Amino acid sequence: MKFLVTVMEFRIALARPRLLALNVMVPVVLVLAISLGGAPEFHAAAVYTVLFTIFGTFGSAIPLVRDAEAGLFGRIIRAGVPPSHFLIERAAGGSAIDALQLLPALTIATLGSISLNGWIRAVLVLWSSIWIANLLGNLVAAAARSLAETALFSAVVTLFLLHLSGVFRTPLPQSSWAVIEAFSPFQALHETLLTVSAGTSTEFPLGLVVWVLILPVVTVFLARSVTRSLRLASDG
Amino acid sequence: MDSGLTSLIKVSGLHYRYASSPPVLIDIDLEVSAGEIVALLGPNGAGKSTLLRILLNELTPESGTIAGSLLSMKSSRVLMGYAGEETAHFNSLTGIQNAHFFARAAGVEKHEVSEMVSGLMNLVGLSNEADKVVSSYSFGAKRKLLLLEALVHQPKLLLLDEPTVGLDPVSRDALADILRKCSQEGSAIVMASHDLNFLEQLADRILVIDEGRVVSSGSQIELLSSLGTATRFQVSVDTASIELPQYFGEDVELVDDSGPLVFETTRGQAALPEIWAALISARVKILGVEVREPGLAELFRRVTGQELPG
Repeated sequence: MKFLVTVMEFRIALARPRLLALNVMVPVVLVLAISLGGAPEFHAAAVYTVLFTIFGTFGSAIPLVRDAEAGLFGRIIRAGVPPSHFLIERAAGGSAIDALQLLPALTIATLGSISLNGWIRAVLVLWSSIWIANLLGNLVAAAARSLAETALFSAVVTLFLLHLSGVFRTPLPQSSWAVIEAFSPFQALHETLLTVSAGTSTEFPLGLVVWVLILPVVTVFLARSVTRSLRLASDG
Repeated sequence: MDSGLTSLIKVSGLHYRYASSPPVLIDIDLEVSAGEIVALLGPNGAGKSTLLRILLNELTPESGTIAGSLLSMKSSRVLMGYAGEETAHFNSLTGIQNAHFFARAAGVEKHEVSEMVSGLMNLVGLSNEADKVVSSYSFGAKRKLLLLEALVHQPKLLLLDEPTVGLDPVSRDALADILRKCSQEGSAIVMASHDLNFLEQLADRILVIDEGRVVSSGSQIELLSSLGTATRFQVSVDTASIELPQYFGEDVELVDDSGPLVFETTRGQAALPEIWAALISARVKILGVEVREPGLAELFRRVTGQELPG
């Protein structure tokens, strides 16, 4: 593996300083507004989780469909990059860039009472969650036939998984929902953002780890289908 | 077909259709040898680009076989190069960054990339723009970069779809030189193009495709000899009360008088003044004259019944 695609993702991000600045500033402004507005912790954590995960899914799916429509995706695969390498490397690069761009916003969101250990844990959970969101974005892109569909499908899939992760509900510790939540991809991020300021986030993020490990395997397994589908986008 | 050459790829009885549409390719046979340059000629929608994409293994034919030594070759580099009609690049990166990416993706080793890319940048005339971002490139410069990226890993089989679109005459000649060199070094080239001068310069063999079928194929000499050596004149006349003379000059034959008058002669354009004089003396009002020398354009016209686009 030459990590050509990952390196390219970083080069592209650095070559567009305006977009880079916007991607840092917009989440910072949103998080600042909520943080300074005195929103209850549960609501604030829900909004942050939605913001961070949608940042990952949209940021992965929309450029992929745009590149497929322009014919760039087809050219890259034709040039010799195996589809599975392309999708995994792209998600790796994209999630690292997203995490770096969201770092200031995350820091503001957890500012105040956070310990260094708590902050490091929050960064790792954020990065892992965005890795999942980026991989989901690849798969969502394969199902879409236009940029509008991509935005719609990204929102639907992410919001559904956020719902399963318990982001939009009052916690019900003894119910069957608690089991579903434990295996959902974004529960750990929500839980971390909710509890990190209180220093109580010590539970093992089971759902996060399961998804971090399984989704790349699913991506490799589906890579050829994703490629075929994305090529249809360039054929119109 | 020179049987002494290695058959790199051989397509037999190939049929293809998109979903439930009518067939795009019907019973196509094509054999390409190392070092050979094969041109696909045909009107828009004839199936040329589809055939290239089947050779690229991007489309699966409905029936037919694809064989040849290319399929069993082992190499650290990608064996095919392709430049299509799209010019998609990483627009926010420079030309040289793009070229490096595609070269490395195709298997060119890190230590070889810079030399190979800069050499080709010079040859295609992009060295002055190598460090500019692609979004600032003209269409022609993007096309040059695309061709460079298809060539940079020295593929065994190079597939080109309309390679001269967007190129100025100097770049076009440079491309012809590069392709000739690739061919001499053993690469086979299959290209679809409407640029007849370009094809005449390069093609060892030409397949004329119309409505999905190969309607004519052979070397340029074979195809052109099938046309004969006659020059054709198509004379548009005012058909009101027309009475044509019997004689139009030495070795001039009126071959069609159902519409515009079509004359054939082996004397070339030297026969035109006599035809002109014969028509004027018969008080035929001449509206226009079109000269058709034997060549690929005329071959295309006669085989497909259509004019070449563009």
